[in-house]
Amino acid sequence: MISDNAKKQINSWIEKYPQGKQSSAVMEALKVVQAENNNQLNHDLIQAVADYLDMPGIAAAEVATFYENYNHKPVGKHIIRFCHNISCMLTGADDLISHLEAKLGVKTGEVTEDGLISVKKVECLGACVGAPMFQIGDQYYENLTTDKVDEIVDGLK
Amino acid sequence: MIVEIEIDGKLINANTGEMVIAVTDREGISVPRFCYHKKLSISASCRMCLVDVEGAPKPQPACSTPVAEGMKIHTQNEKAIASQKAVMEFLLINHPLDCPICDQGGECELQDVAIEYGSDVSRFSEGKRIVAPSDIGPLIQTDMTRCIHCTRCVRFGSEIAGIMEMGATGRGEELKIEPFLAEGITSELSGNMIDVCPVGALTSKPFRYELRSWQMSSVESIARHDLVGSNLYAQTYKGNVKRVVSGDNDAVNETWISDRDRFSYEGLTHENRLLSPQIKVEGQWKEVEWDVALDFAIKGLNNNILNSRNLAKLGGLASNTATIEELHLMQKLLREIGCENIDHRLNVKDLNNTIHLKSTIKLIELETIDQALVIGANLRLEQPMINHRLRKAQLSGANITTLNVKDFNFNYKVDSHITSPNEIANTLAGVLKALIDKTKQELPEYLSEVMPSEQSVAMANNLLEANNSVLILGEHLINNAQASSISNLTAEIAKLTNSSTLNLTATANSLGAQLVNFMPNSKGMNTNEMLDADMRAFILLDVYPEYDFHHSATALNALSSDDMFVISLNSFGSELISQYSDVMLPMAAMFETSGTHMNINGKAQSFRASVGAPGEAKPAWKILKVLADLLELPGFHYENSAQVMSEVAHQSTQTHEYDTSIDLSKQTAMLETIWMHSPYQSDVLLRHAKSLSASQIGHMNTASMNASTAQALSLNNKDTYLGVPVEIDSIMADQCVFVNSNQATNTGGLQ
Repeated sequence: MISDNAKKQINSWIEKYPQGKQSSAVMEALKVVQAENNNQLNHDLIQAVADYLDMPGIAAAEVATFYENYNHKPVGKHIIRFCHNISCMLTGADDLISHLEAKLGVKTGEVTEDGLISVKKVECLGACVGAPMFQIGDQYYENLTTDKVDEIVDGLK
Repeated sequence: MIVEIEIDGKLINANTGEMVIAVTDREGISVPRFCYHKKLSISASCRMCLVDVEGAPKPQPACSTPVAEGMKIHTQNEKAIASQKAVMEFLLINHPLDCPICDQGGECELQDVAIEYGSDVSRFSEGKRIVAPSDIGPLIQTDMTRCIHCTRCVRFGSEIAGIMEMGATGRGEELKIEPFLAEGITSELSGNMIDVCPVGALTSKPFRYELRSWQMSSVESIARHDLVGSNLYAQTYKGNVKRVVSGDNDAVNETWISDRDRFSYEGLTHENRLLSPQIKVEGQWKEVEWDVALDFAIKGLNNNILNSRNLAKLGGLASNTATIEELHLMQKLLREIGCENIDHRLNVKDLNNTIHLKSTIKLIELETIDQALVIGANLRLEQPMINHRLRKAQLSGANITTLNVKDFNFNYKVDSHITSPNEIANTLAGVLKALIDKTKQELPEYLSEVMPSEQSVAMANNLLEANNSVLILGEHLINNAQASSISNLTAEIAKLTNSSTLNLTATANSLGAQLVNFMPNSKGMNTNEMLDADMRAFILLDVYPEYDFHHSATALNALSSDDMFVISLNSFGSELISQYSDVMLPMAAMFETSGTHMNINGKAQSFRASVGAPGEAKPAWKILKVLADLLELPGFHYENSAQVMSEVAHQSTQTHEYDTSIDLSKQTAMLETIWMHSPYQSDVLLRHAKSLSASQIGHMNTASMNASTAQALSLNNKDTYLGVPVEIDSIMADQCVFVNSNQATNTGGLQ
């Protein structure tokens, strides 16, 4: 279930923790196997990671479902991770999310038909000073307006 | 160290490091709580126990605030009450408040606390969340919309049951308590989650929609399915046990009970219960009055045995689940009329070759051992409460070594040595020799040819280094070809290493049976001798031959022979019993009779009847008393079972002589079969408890063997062995089959 390459990467994370504390590597391990599976996790993969790290499946599932970094449904090439916590909400994130949904013709959690973009509501990304904001890949986009959202989304290839 | 603190103006001494809530609980000061449980780790997630600590800017959770010298705590001032009320309001936001249709209603911690701290009107006008129910098995009903996320069940699973099956997935409003695996909850202790759940999220499935808690009476009782004797409450309504919940007794079961003890009561109302006395006249069964049936029994005894003074041809056999009182009266009756053929050891292949080790360690002391050697036991499923104690020891650093035929699933780390049944005695002899070598003592003759293996030397070293070690012999050894030698070797090893011993082969109330000498003396025959002798009559106390005897086919043959007169006292009827019996006397089952059970520590625990017996059934001690009266025997003037017990208490116990020799040259069989009833089939009440049978453990029915054994037997995993489906297990000892079956033993021809 877990490729040799993925195991190698996971092992390098396990080594960073004291012996017997291999389950501390669960977040990175989930990331590694997700990256190899079209950026998506499933029940069997979570169990495989848990088995590899000698921890209960449910404990790995708790981590995998708590953090927004893990996807449990198909996602697009680009994931727009839209913050909807308090600062962004107060500065109009909800309207912007509706705008984005209408523009792309998808709801949050869905993928555009061409498989290019998916939208995800996420918890605070720690950029309240630039609210409302979203993240695509490693890039933060702040002080968003409808125009700015259009421009960014149109530029995605 | 003792510190002095002040709670609500009262000066109180407390131990450093103790949490405030432990002190308030001890002092009887009420602090509301949901997530805190005295036997679980502290999560401090519900915030219900907020109290005001002078000097602290914010209210502090009593469950996770350690006491300190001079601390002043207010549990009832304005700040504390306001905080508690605020938390209550948040907890109720998503709670459905469906108390009228909730099984927890009336015994709900949320309901109780809400009455005190909740507001009459909710300020929350938004939609509440709904959580789809998940089916987690036949024992626990889930209604997770009611869950308040205290995580007691999650912590119970990971900390006590030792397998984390429930977890908190998702986040924020999406947070859900659920199992990850499709099988749901499989732990042998799972029912305790029902007890720890403070709301109606996890309730008893068999009890669903039955009754309100206040409609039932709670009767203290003792579980009799294993050798622990867990304390519990039978909750009854109109003469029926409707539910069983755990009782507290730190020396026995702490506050937990196994699922086996919790759900066995369902069997009480099974249609197979024997409800009226019946006699067989010219091959036809007739339901009759008690006096007719008893006269018939006496007449049969007179005709077959007493008139001809042919007492050597009479045998008395009893199940080891019987109470001390029942066993005492039955042996007294038999010995009064001159019969010495008495035994409760039905499942032993060779009664001259037995495990007879003394148990020298208290259950509570098992938690503090630092080294254990477990031989021939699947502890988790066979003795859940003992396993739980050992697990605690392991978690605090003890080293547990196992010698088993199979790599059983322990819920803690064990050093597992897969060992064939016929290698166990040699392995132990190796340990003993290594010990003798080390301590430079004289080598006994029987060890002269033993070459200790590396493994044996390591075990010997471990035991010598340990301060507090225990040797545990399990049920798989009962019919080992070298049982007696194993028992004696273990005793020798214990002597040299100062280890305690625990003998788990004395199942159910076996120690009670030994106490009242429900065994043949030198003049009498044991079970197997009786089955082989040409007997004329038997009195059987709750015996089910197809399950209880090791030699079940022989037993059924013996009982069915033409001129045999069989008096059967049974709680359940069966076709087989009707075939061989001449009179069937319906007896009260567990929960229906008063009596006493003796546990592995020799602790005699008496209980009263939780409910009356159904139909015409009577407590067996009464039936035996009346039989004795009709036989005009002296000394049976009892008015209640307590008088029987006090007679037992004043009697001196007979000690039995056991063979203490060790003979390693004894030939062992090429193939050893270890036959264990699956954990939920080990006695007649359990076999009739339908929810347990429907559970995953209840379904266990496999004959495990490794590939080479299977090849030698020309079997594959589609075949059956002695009628039980074959399972090929790669991690198993050679030359043996381990059967865990829910089938009768007579079908396959077990030798």
